[in-house]
Amino acid sequence: MFFAQLKNELWKLFGKKRTYIGFGAFVIAQALMMLMFKYTHWQSMYERWLSGNGYLASEYISALTVALQMIVPQILLLMPLYVALVGGDLVAKEAEDGTLRMILSRPISRLRLLWVKWLAGIIFAAVLTLALGVIALGFARLLFPWKGMFVPGQTPTDLVFGIFTANEGLRLYVFSHLFMTVNAITMLSVAFMFSCFNMKPAAATILSLSFLFMSMVMQRIPFFEAYQNWFITHHFECWLLVFQTPAPWSQICQSEIILFAVSATAFIIGAMAFQVRDIKS
Amino acid sequence: MIELHNVFKKFAGRIAVDDLSFTVRRGEIFGLLGHNGAGKSTAIGMMLGQVWPTSGEVKVCGHDVASNRRAALMQVGAIFETPVFYDYLSGARNLEILSTYTAPTSKARIREVIEWVGLTGREQSKVRTYSHGMRSRLALAQALLPKPELLILDEPSDGLDPEGIHEMRQTILRLQHELGLTILLSSHLLNEVEQLCTRIAVLQKGKKVFEGNVADVKAARGKVALKTSDFADAAKLLLERGLITATEKGQFITLAENHSTAEITQTLVAAGIAVEGIWQHEQTVEDFYLNLIKPPPILAKN
Repeated sequence: MFFAQLKNELWKLFGKKRTYIGFGAFVIAQALMMLMFKYTHWQSMYERWLSGNGYLASEYISALTVALQMIVPQILLLMPLYVALVGGDLVAKEAEDGTLRMILSRPISRLRLLWVKWLAGIIFAAVLTLALGVIALGFARLLFPWKGMFVPGQTPTDLVFGIFTANEGLRLYVFSHLFMTVNAITMLSVAFMFSCFNMKPAAATILSLSFLFMSMVMQRIPFFEAYQNWFITHHFECWLLVFQTPAPWSQICQSEIILFAVSATAFIIGAMAFQVRDIKS
Repeated sequence: MIELHNVFKKFAGRIAVDDLSFTVRRGEIFGLLGHNGAGKSTAIGMMLGQVWPTSGEVKVCGHDVASNRRAALMQVGAIFETPVFYDYLSGARNLEILSTYTAPTSKARIREVIEWVGLTGREQSKVRTYSHGMRSRLALAQALLPKPELLILDEPSDGLDPEGIHEMRQTILRLQHELGLTILLSSHLLNEVEQLCTRIAVLQKGKKVFEGNVADVKAARGKVALKTSDFADAAKLLLERGLITATEKGQFITLAENHSTAEITQTLVAAGIAVEGIWQHEQTVEDFYLNLIKPPPILAKN
């Protein structure tokens, strides 16, 4: 029964048009960014940078380099938006539409219902992250060659600067998506938590985005530098650390554990709020 | 099948249900009446474990809903006012989805209920293309999926056209006769309640103000319709003789205790007042309901 319920939650989720807004936005954003990379001064800037560090620019202006550059701003801005949109809908939209009342006239427990909905959301978050990576690399490959990967130190926190062969770069690119998926799951869990309270789906989405953006803004204020570990957006950046040589695994593991704990806590809070709630038309 | 014992529910300082107790017996069609906000939907929500009572006990199919909701709702179907579905999916897919929240349901069973409600041929169409009547049938189909013993219908005729209301009424009767279901019906349509229900409970401001048989309500003991050549004179005479206690609308009399219509006829004929007709008046549920919940008269200021 559990898998049948999960399958049906996925049917409901992927049967809605608004679920695909994120995928569509990624395609449009990446197509535009790729054209900018190809036809603006971006390339010459990178060539100067690589030459200044003693590398042959033509070997590293590649599909992998461009794909990673396209992903960074989308992870920061678009990913939270679309994940929160779906996460905020998961329970609150059903409550608003009235279908939740029909489901809860059946003997399924509220906890079980939330559990399958959360898992369906997690699957969505994973698919969206995977799609982001595949679309970015696919688009980049259309206009850029398959060569070595250059990871410049111009990421939000200047965490990394790396030069990799194509094979190694691809391995790290795929690996980094595992951690990006955890980020997306955490964002979704926060939105899901708000969705379990008695509020409109838009309110759940806006609250979760406010929470995420507030964390991002506060994290960048110098006063809070000593409290970085308290901001989940700080831990979201651990996916970039896989490109560091050597990779700081203890730091990555710590961030991942914190993100898992945040997701689980968000689910538990949401489940408790949902359990005591009265479901009325 | 349903037992409510001293149930009380408060929403943010407002009392929605106040010390409500009633029982719905197996096989009957029980009507729940009351104005908007009287507490009917809250009471139904508590029966389905959607609304938690502040105090009191709600039992469905012999199981306490708060502590054993799964067992209580295993063989219960419910329909709510304005049926809502996943519009972007087909009717059959909606049924498949909803069935998984109860127990594994075979495709044959889904086909069977689709046929029973008369949606065969349209089950693969998206629900957004369905008319209101078709949505009501789909709502009925989803309620029948778990082979229920008890059906809870909250305003099932809401928004239907006259043909749809008639069809829903016939369907409810079929459900009882063919499937032997116990039905709790919450409705504003008093005519519908009168035609369908065997017993009713009336709620007012969260409190139960009446529970009883529809037949007793309709009997309206002591109220007699009288047709004479001169109702005013007849009424005056009967009041003087102590045979009646009241008159109403120039056509009804209320018999005094231990007096019969035969005595009335004899008295009037003896006094030379022609009696064209006299018969026991059958009160409608609507008359009864309106009399029961009518507000107290406003006193005129001097």
